[in-house]
Amino acid sequence: MTASDESHSSPVKEEVVSFYAKHEKIHPREVSGRFSRLRRIAVFALLGLFYLVPWLSWDGRQAVLFDLPARKFYIWGLVLWPQDFIFLTWLLVLLGLSLFFFTALAGRLWCGYACPQTVWTEVFLWMERWIEGDRNRRIKLERAGWTPEKIRKKVAKHAVWIAFSLWTGISFVGFFVPIGTLIHDVARGDVSGWPLFWTLFYGGATYANAGFMREQVCKYMCPYARFQSAMFDRDTLIITYDQKRGEPRGARARGGDPALLGLGDCVDCTVCVQVCPTGIDIRNGLQYECIACAACIDACDTVMDKVGYPRGLIRYTTQHALDGRKTHIFRGRTLVYASLLMLIFLAGVVGLIHRKTADLDIIRDRNALYRETNNDEIENVYLLRILNKQMQSRTFSLAIEGLDYARIDGGSPHWLVNGGEVYTTAIRIDVPSGKIHGGQTLRLVLIDDSTGKRLLAEKARFIAPP
Amino acid sequence: MTIHLPTDEVPSKGWNRVGRDVAMVLWPSFLAAAVQTMVFFAIFDPVYLGEGTALAEIISSHNAGYALGFFFFWAFTTLASALTVYLVRTEAAQ
Repeated sequence: MTASDESHSSPVKEEVVSFYAKHEKIHPREVSGRFSRLRRIAVFALLGLFYLVPWLSWDGRQAVLFDLPARKFYIWGLVLWPQDFIFLTWLLVLLGLSLFFFTALAGRLWCGYACPQTVWTEVFLWMERWIEGDRNRRIKLERAGWTPEKIRKKVAKHAVWIAFSLWTGISFVGFFVPIGTLIHDVARGDVSGWPLFWTLFYGGATYANAGFMREQVCKYMCPYARFQSAMFDRDTLIITYDQKRGEPRGARARGGDPALLGLGDCVDCTVCVQVCPTGIDIRNGLQYECIACAACIDACDTVMDKVGYPRGLIRYTTQHALDGRKTHIFRGRTLVYASLLMLIFLAGVVGLIHRKTADLDIIRDRNALYRETNNDEIENVYLLRILNKQMQSRTFSLAIEGLDYARIDGGSPHWLVNGGEVYTTAIRIDVPSGKIHGGQTLRLVLIDDSTGKRLLAEKARFIAPP
Repeated sequence: MTIHLPTDEVPSKGWNRVGRDVAMVLWPSFLAAAVQTMVFFAIFDPVYLGEGTALAEIISSHNAGYALGFFFFWAFTTLASALTVYLVRTEAAQ
């Protein structure tokens, strides 16, 4: 539209309406107290595990290694094969149920203390604070022009962030590729193909998520943030501002008696807003943006101590407690989640203990249905794949069940199968001609020679002329 | 003494609507594709799957198979998510 057009246009002013509020970069103020200490412990414990575990060894190999090319997962003494996929499903179900249970009990504990988004953002904030200074300095720096000082600080921050992200990427890939060789390759500048790609992918995601996207991820991308309220009830621990006690809020001289001034306990210092990583005001009530990090509790407690009021104006409490009623920890919802959790946990542990330590695949020879031998016998040929899931080598043998007169040609051999390996072989099974007509099903039983124990039985079809 | 601290923030441009839509499409589809990849490749071995097909040369190693599988799944989950967002956005006002 040109200027002349505009003069003739209708008097109604056109306005661009944005569907979303303009985002403002949040500079959370640093906070100290009980809950921030708890989060620091959680960060060290969780990230400590993440960065350390790939370096642990067990039995001469990496203790935890998800060896994708070999399709084997090593978790200390346990080796999981694709056949054990059910245990991965079990673990996912268990994690999902735990999330439900803890959310019902104590709200968004996951978000505040354990979510990778929170944990890595916290570490990135430490680095930011270390290089750029506290909140006021960071805001000043943001507003300042591009002075050499600002350039130096920004370059330093991003360099540290990128280095840390790359290390994170390498540690992540170290769960899938032996980390010793990986580091060796990195040192020689010879990381190739997929390991390099996934290092950059995971490292890049860390850099973007923890450095830039931060609370936006929780606000716009996280499905859990949207549906967690379905697990809440009036007995769930939430972080709330005690409106009855705090209002009417207002600044006051130190030592002023709120009752005489006609004020509540909230001194309206807004520190609770400044420390909030998602930039909300907890005094407006429970909001879905709240990740329950409890930074506002620590901040408010500190201020209450300073002005000499009792702590807990912002605190962990339940809706029932706020209404002056009793809080029930044991209630339908938590009991159902807890018993489901226990049941599934036990079922999985029992399954793991009774897991088959070997596997047997039987494939009928495709070339011929059967063969008549010189000894007047009917012969079928089978291809066997014996899988030793344990890490020690074992010797196996085979027995036939369910088919009379059947015998393995030459007797059952004893196969030595190395730990964690597959052994492929062929056997011939013979039955005297007069003893069998048409097809019959037999069972091949795999026996552990050292213990003489039957490990498992697999069915196979024996075919003879009618 | 009154307790007063600055509450002002530096306004800066954040994610606009397109940015948020992109995030809302990419992230759930990423999660779905990740789970899909795990389940699928726990059952099927990519190298055996590729045998005798036009993809045999590309899926020459397990790592290539897993990665290509993941991006293949992600492409289609992204398409589904994008269509959903598009339908929601273009729905006539009730």
